[in-house]
Amino acid sequence: MSEARRIPFNNPGWAGNTGEFQLTEAQVRGDEYVGKRPPEGGHPSGTSTYPYMLAEKDPEAPLFEGAYQERFEKIRSRYPDARSALLPSLGMAQELRGHLSPETMEQVAQLLGLSPAYVRGVATFYTMYNKRPVGRFLIQVCTNISCSLCGGDDVLQAFLNNTGTEMGETSEDGNFTVMEAECLAGCGFPTTVQINSRYYENVMPKDVPEILERLKAQGE
Amino acid sequence: MAYPYTHEKEVRILSKHFGEPEARTVEGWKARGGYQTLSMAFEMGRNAIIDEVKASGLRGRGGAGFPAGVKWSFMPQDGGRPHYLLCNADESEPGTFKDRELLRWAPHQVIEGMIIAAYAIRAEQAYVYCRGEFFETTQILARAIEEAYEAGYLGKDILGSGVNVDITVHCGGGAYICGEETALMNSLEGRRGTPRIKPPFPAQAGYMGMPSTVNNVETLSSIPFIIQEGADAYRANGTAESPGTKLFCVSGHVRRPGNYELPLGFPLMELIDDVCGGMKEGRTLKGVIPGGSSVPILNAEECANCEMSFEGVIAAGSQLGCAAVIVMDDSTDIVKEVRRMVGFYAHESCGQCTPCREGSAWAEKILRRIEEGRGTEEDLDTLMEVTSQMEGTTICVLSDSVAAPVQSSINKFREEYLSRIRTGEKAGVA
Amino acid sequence: MMTDQQSPQTVTMRIDGREVTVPTGTTILRAAESVGIEIPHYCYHPGLSSPAMCRLCLVEVEGWPKPAPACKTTVAEGQVVHIESEMAQAQRTGVLEFYLLNHPLDCPICDQSGECQLQDYVFAQGREHGRGREPKRVLGRDDFGGDVLFNGDRCVMCTRCVRFMREVAEDERLCVVERGNRAVIDTFFDEGLEGSPFAGNIVDICPVGALVSKDFLHKARAWDLDRTPSVCPSCSQGCNITLQTRDDLVQRLKPRENMDVNGWWMCDFGRHNYEWINRVDRVEEPLVNGETQGWPEALGSLLGRLKEAKGEVKAVTWAHSTNEEMGLLKAMMEELGGSEVVYRSPRTVGELQLPGFPLLARREDLAPNVRGAEILGFTRVGDEEAEGGLDDLATHKGVLIVVGDPLEDQNENFGAQAELFIYLGSYLSKVAGNAHYVLPTTTFAEQEGSYTNVQGRVQRFWPGIRSPGSARPGWLILGALFAEFTETEAPIGADQAFVQVAKGVPEFGEITYRDMGTRGAPARKSAGVAGD
Repeated sequence: MSEARRIPFNNPGWAGNTGEFQLTEAQVRGDEYVGKRPPEGGHPSGTSTYPYMLAEKDPEAPLFEGAYQERFEKIRSRYPDARSALLPSLGMAQELRGHLSPETMEQVAQLLGLSPAYVRGVATFYTMYNKRPVGRFLIQVCTNISCSLCGGDDVLQAFLNNTGTEMGETSEDGNFTVMEAECLAGCGFPTTVQINSRYYENVMPKDVPEILERLKAQGE
Repeated sequence: MAYPYTHEKEVRILSKHFGEPEARTVEGWKARGGYQTLSMAFEMGRNAIIDEVKASGLRGRGGAGFPAGVKWSFMPQDGGRPHYLLCNADESEPGTFKDRELLRWAPHQVIEGMIIAAYAIRAEQAYVYCRGEFFETTQILARAIEEAYEAGYLGKDILGSGVNVDITVHCGGGAYICGEETALMNSLEGRRGTPRIKPPFPAQAGYMGMPSTVNNVETLSSIPFIIQEGADAYRANGTAESPGTKLFCVSGHVRRPGNYELPLGFPLMELIDDVCGGMKEGRTLKGVIPGGSSVPILNAEECANCEMSFEGVIAAGSQLGCAAVIVMDDSTDIVKEVRRMVGFYAHESCGQCTPCREGSAWAEKILRRIEEGRGTEEDLDTLMEVTSQMEGTTICVLSDSVAAPVQSSINKFREEYLSRIRTGEKAGVA
Repeated sequence: MMTDQQSPQTVTMRIDGREVTVPTGTTILRAAESVGIEIPHYCYHPGLSSPAMCRLCLVEVEGWPKPAPACKTTVAEGQVVHIESEMAQAQRTGVLEFYLLNHPLDCPICDQSGECQLQDYVFAQGREHGRGREPKRVLGRDDFGGDVLFNGDRCVMCTRCVRFMREVAEDERLCVVERGNRAVIDTFFDEGLEGSPFAGNIVDICPVGALVSKDFLHKARAWDLDRTPSVCPSCSQGCNITLQTRDDLVQRLKPRENMDVNGWWMCDFGRHNYEWINRVDRVEEPLVNGETQGWPEALGSLLGRLKEAKGEVKAVTWAHSTNEEMGLLKAMMEELGGSEVVYRSPRTVGELQLPGFPLLARREDLAPNVRGAEILGFTRVGDEEAEGGLDDLATHKGVLIVVGDPLEDQNENFGAQAELFIYLGSYLSKVAGNAHYVLPTTTFAEQEGSYTNVQGRVQRFWPGIRSPGSARPGWLILGALFAEFTETEAPIGADQAFVQVAKGVPEFGEITYRDMGTRGAPARKSAGVAGD
């Protein structure tokens, strides 16, 4: 197997560790197929499928301007009413700002003609919306049944140890926030870890330092 | 071999092209025989499609196993109001990881199935409610949908047939309960994802109060084959009551976990021992959760003759659910794992119904106490009674999902609980 | 599926062995209610949508695999429902145990105690001992702004308050934050409920002590309160209310259901405008030229003075006077050959409508009986603040009769030149000091009477507290004078007074107190009265 095809640390984003793959990581993740998607959202059918967490965040980013405004309008056009566009709009606000502050919720409420309290009720129902700032990399380790059977708790502990953080707290350098996650639907490839929007699968405690180094060096 | 999980006993219909990056593209999919069923379907007409799907006996793959064709036939026949097709891709049941694979390896298969389904139920707008965490998956799906639009398979007047279908990918926000069809509709409407009381059923008043049908990704993926090859060919696999093939998501303590497409009715032990390569070195089987964490645990004896069909698993004392087979060997600490599962339900309970909101959190606290060696024997009775008060008393069945692992594990692994309570030791855990 | 056959209009079914016939589409809960059976419930409220989430109203329906929520399940022909069967009771006991898991059981310091549905239901059907051994969740208190204080630990998550703000007030300031066991009711961070004119209703509909009134906080125990049906005097809407009193002091006002007027609701302006009823600086005995006198002497000499009086008779009243008072004042004026009666009433700009119950609005006229005065043909004078407009009365030299209005805006010379100045009122204002006769009257809270609201609905109220000294209802005083004057029989009850008044007033026509009952009766429309 050539070096280019070597999939690092137990094949992130890939199903299994049997050593039988002939695909690159980009092929597995679909990066080649998807290509670079335009910031204004491309075809309206898929405008809400952008990453919900990015390493680079700007808590002051306007809601929404330029390409993002265009994306917002495309999203809005795909639903029969404004309320239905709330989840994708919150997702986009978080993509830009990194978390949903009270001000962000209020602005999204205004954009969609909803009450701020209503938006707060919805935003807090869903776990993917960060209600407070997180590090550049939000690391969510699955410890649910299948991963738990295969050592998910140890992987979680390894991330906590290697980042020197407590659960849910952000490391001093602002890089990492580690959280426990519920089942990420990667049960056959334990332990499944979600870092920002990307999945890392078959993660073992020994892989953790390498993953963290790669994140610091290359991003997700 | 591109896809690492294959076995000669597999019957690969849905998963035929897993691991082939080219199959994701519209050209690659067409080269593999894709999109041929659209014109066939439009020619057949709505009633014939529904009849064919009914005849195939295809049962919903989301867990409940309700016949898909029958579900479609509930949709009103008269026009006037918009109809919606909702594809449930909010895969979150612990143990399940098939929809993500279907979406990222065969997105056009889902799209093709959705176009036919939307046509059959008179829906011009369809949504794929994708689990929000599935970033890569939804990107692939979005690209595939875009290609399908470019190729004229989506949008207005598909292939000159006069049929209009639009698909929109909608990302959830991270809530297990949104996989429940009425919660999914609330969530799609931009509300808190709380299940709705039925009736009215989605076919009467669903998304935006309009007639809607919610189908699982795997169900919709099965449609092109049924249209292409016919109901009889579909029925060639599986049992009379559970026709067809099914993606079995095997996780836990087996050598080769993964997705395996097998005919329904496949023996559980053969799945574990042969297809999945058996237990890990020196380990023996303790129990299996055959259908995702919300179904009762089977102990090793019950597994012995269990056939993996809807009726077969019921006969063995559990449910097929979404065929997420979680295998546990003798190193498993049942008390801890049950506590973890119940903790999941407590975390994911939407909180509207009192028995679920209060009961799931209570059960978790009791289990944690037992796990930490501070339990009493009365706690087991309390757990049994508390969970029985949670069965059948709520709007959706999440509450019942707490009862299943708790009651089955106390009944079948009582000694493990008792030793933890009496001595704090993990007896029975190798 | 419904066929195209005509569905029958009524359904006959059985609830706990009793045959019940109700209209098609009625829920089990309402069907039971119609025969006097209460099915315990929290989330259901007749004025709100039913989410069927409290799971307390689950009942056994024969032939059904699972218990059914009575608030949402409609009755079917021949259906057999059990509310007190073993299964249904066990169900309720089980759900109640869940409710108590995190409940602080702080009934001794909880304002809701005594009228708490959790207390009542647990007392009736709860377990004797809870089995919860785990530490309780502690949320503490949160000031929601306005008059509302939230005690999260007592909350049963029925979401009535959230639904009221969304569906009825249409001012969605409340939400459920988080989910599952961590769910809690909250406002948008610090936004609170401040400025929401109907927020007080959420305290009423909260079945437990989670939402309490700051104004009423620790003021009285529910069981010490006396409750009297009444009518809110704060605007011309005339919301039906209950005066809740203790030791002859009004402690709080609560809305009383009347689907023709206010539903189950009232505005906060009316709700909190009650302190004046408890004013203690009252006139307690008749004063004649500043000297205390008994009623017989005072009325006797007044009658003589009236008969002797030569000058023109003028009268002023206010829109807080009752129909009976006003009607008898009018009769008296006619008897004395007086000119028209004027009245004053404060007025604000714009109505505050309750969007989810459009019949109800805080009206522009901030007094209860403007319509009554209009029907009786009184002339409105004065400005928005109910001030001024009395210049010719202030210096009137003939007979001057003031009923009710304390005339706080007038200077101390008002009525000083009058030949005879009679003042019927509750408070000894500075103007009253000029009166030859000060006759103490009771407030609406101390007497029986009626108001005509903005819809033209005549509504009764009852005495809830005792009047101080020997204050008497205005109608009794005017009625007695009129009877002496005309040598007829004086009314000895408000009902008789109303009959006497109604005789000459086509709008009141044949309406009697019996017709009005506790819910009022519509006056007949007349062309002369400003439209609704």
